[in-house]
Amino acid sequence: MPDIDPTSPPLTGYRVLDLGGPLGFHCTKLLADMGADVVKIERPGGDEARRIPPFKDDLPHPETSLYFLHFHTNKRGVTLDIESPEGRAIFLELACNADVVLETFQPGRLDELGIGYENLRRQHPGLVYASITPFGQSGPWRDYKANDMAGLALGNLLYLAGEPGEPPLQPPGEIAYGMASTYGAFGIAVALYHRLESGQGQFIDVSMHECAAHIAGYFIPNYGYTGAKPARASRKGEETDLYDPYPTKNGYARIFIIPVEQWRRLVEWMGRPPSISGAEFEKMAYRRKHPDIVVGAIAEFCRRHTKEELYEEGQKRRIAVTPINTAGEFITSEQVKARGTFVEMEHPVIGHYAHFGPVPRFSESPGRITRTAPLVGQHNSEIYCGELGMSKEDLVALRASGVI
Amino acid sequence: MSKLPLEGIRVVELTTGAAGPTVARVLCEFGAEVIRCETRLRGDGHRGEDPALWNKKPDFMKLQRGKKSFTVNMQTPKGRELVKELVKKSDVVVENFGLGILEKWGLDYPQLKEINPGCILIRVKGMGCTGPHAADLTYGPNVGNTMGTTYLWNYAGATTATAEPRTQHPDFMGGVTGAFAVVLALIQRRETKRGQWIDSAQVEIGASLLGPKYLEYSVNKREPRPEGNRSLIAAPYGPYRCAGEDRWCVIAIYDQDEWKRFAALVEQSGVKRDEKFATHLGRVRHREELDVWVTTWTRARDPYDVMETLQGIGVCAAVVQDVEDQFERDRQYAATGFLVKLNEPEAGEVVTEGVPIRLSVTPGKVRGVAPLMGEHTREIARDLLGLSDREIATLEEEKVLY
Repeated sequence: MPDIDPTSPPLTGYRVLDLGGPLGFHCTKLLADMGADVVKIERPGGDEARRIPPFKDDLPHPETSLYFLHFHTNKRGVTLDIESPEGRAIFLELACNADVVLETFQPGRLDELGIGYENLRRQHPGLVYASITPFGQSGPWRDYKANDMAGLALGNLLYLAGEPGEPPLQPPGEIAYGMASTYGAFGIAVALYHRLESGQGQFIDVSMHECAAHIAGYFIPNYGYTGAKPARASRKGEETDLYDPYPTKNGYARIFIIPVEQWRRLVEWMGRPPSISGAEFEKMAYRRKHPDIVVGAIAEFCRRHTKEELYEEGQKRRIAVTPINTAGEFITSEQVKARGTFVEMEHPVIGHYAHFGPVPRFSESPGRITRTAPLVGQHNSEIYCGELGMSKEDLVALRASGVI
Repeated sequence: MSKLPLEGIRVVELTTGAAGPTVARVLCEFGAEVIRCETRLRGDGHRGEDPALWNKKPDFMKLQRGKKSFTVNMQTPKGRELVKELVKKSDVVVENFGLGILEKWGLDYPQLKEINPGCILIRVKGMGCTGPHAADLTYGPNVGNTMGTTYLWNYAGATTATAEPRTQHPDFMGGVTGAFAVVLALIQRRETKRGQWIDSAQVEIGASLLGPKYLEYSVNKREPRPEGNRSLIAAPYGPYRCAGEDRWCVIAIYDQDEWKRFAALVEQSGVKRDEKFATHLGRVRHREELDVWVTTWTRARDPYDVMETLQGIGVCAAVVQDVEDQFERDRQYAATGFLVKLNEPEAGEVVTEGVPIRLSVTPGKVRGVAPLMGEHTREIARDLLGLSDREIATLEEEKVLY
């Protein structure tokens, strides 16, 4: 039930049952960081994601996956075989006390097991039930398999990434999963808002394939309008664009100019090189037509500075300069330190780690990181005995028969 | 037709670029009334510099569909007062100008709270509202530079700085995350009767997906490097070259059953497999040779044949689609009606992406075309601000409603 303390995170008191795989990890992480009590249901022995690298010290073990750690910090965990009859009964009981169920199974799979939305809503009409799947619950591809890269491929993100002639290149960070998860969390929030008034739950169908299309900028509206069909951009000759990073004394920096004032400030900062100081260069279209001159002059300037110097001085002069940072440079940057983006955490097996904190930030009821990722079955007794009233002996029997 | 879930919620949008408009667009699709404040002094980045094209930009349509346009000159004290009146009658303010502008207008949270204590303000900034780089000038595509995406989005052992496209997930994922946060604040407001403000840093939203990379640094004390299309948990894995120019199909095989079905299918077409591919370990160890072997099969085939054939035997496969494919060959988009046509009054037909989530009781929808510059100014001035036609005419003359 919703908490009335105005400083508690907004989802305090909401219970989420998490049957999600990687497609839904970021979704329930968003809910957990905003205060929801997320209970992850893992198959006996542990979730498959515990096998995903990287691992602490590169040694694979169910408790050392840093991938699992990132997405499950702040969640509780129980083991349960939902394919067994006892497991299904236990799941139904848990669902009665939940506000939200999130799952990423193939469409129809949980219905076959008797724990799909139609089964659950009969006993719990207020339940919000979200399914995030590769292609959604309908259409000719609904039963097809797709991972993050497949989502990006069909969404026209992969085609544009990489060098011409080379294979398209996947981004880091599972962006298609991330977008599907984010839309899922938004849908859940809307459904919970609606439920406040109506008391009614509902089913939310999220298609990664459609979510991925929303990431790719403006290619869809532009193609429909002008027929423009971009390909992977070449760095040589005509197509070279002004946004490519420039080599500096110690790595790369990028200078991204849109408004003319920024261009003027840049030229001023560079000491007005004659080759680009003409008034004609104030038009972006003209600059685009003469990339060799523009890029040549800026590159010459950037080579004489470090990326940090360019970043600090450029931003001071109100020019959109950014350094190309590594992950470590980002973590240790002044901005990240000042904002406390990372939270110091301790895990019984992995040890000390810096965890990515809750985003975005609420002024009155900020999100919180309250616990590290669960060990396999860590909260079995807390939930099965503490909440469902089972005895310790029941736990032993369920363990022996492989249900938990 | 049931009521949209956010009906009755009024949003004032003070934005430019993409991340802020996306917050309000997503709220709009689920019923919020969005009033976009803008000015004829200068079209924003997506309306463009040329007034003749203000109402004709497809990128603008994508971001602004379904909203209202209220033209107001914020450089005048009267203009700022009118917007404060609007804020008084609204539930949410979405803002993403440079740090300091809202303060200057008297609409930062301490001042806004005085006007309307129940209002929720979301400030969308590249780097957030605090810290030494809060005032940085950023755009969606360069946020990724700072957080490591650009560096990591590259081929293993690459020598150039980046091979990334101009993809801007911190804009679009940031926008949807912002909408999520606003709805949570609305949920909480029902209990507390109070608003609050939300500091939404695009860099943090984008970076939150890179968590495992940062853990590699903080736990293993090692800088993660670009990995290209490599995977240790799937093989074959990645885009494979197909028949045609620059045509590719992603294939990913995670388990032994999938492998057996795949290998049998490929062998049927006369391409013998090597024994060293028999196990996952063997496939990962010999991944370059494996890729060559897979390509001998894929390169003779249309990418959609590869996808459909492999999906038919339960193997993950997906065409690397370009935008034309999304329109012409994507059977799924066609069947679900995902691509939505807008009949824009000046631009004509513009196609944009539909709503990618379906709520069974309270579905969202694309609610209409994008507003012409200033299309709703008079309507809002009259109906919401209670101004007379004469007052409106004077304010237009004074270039306040402008």
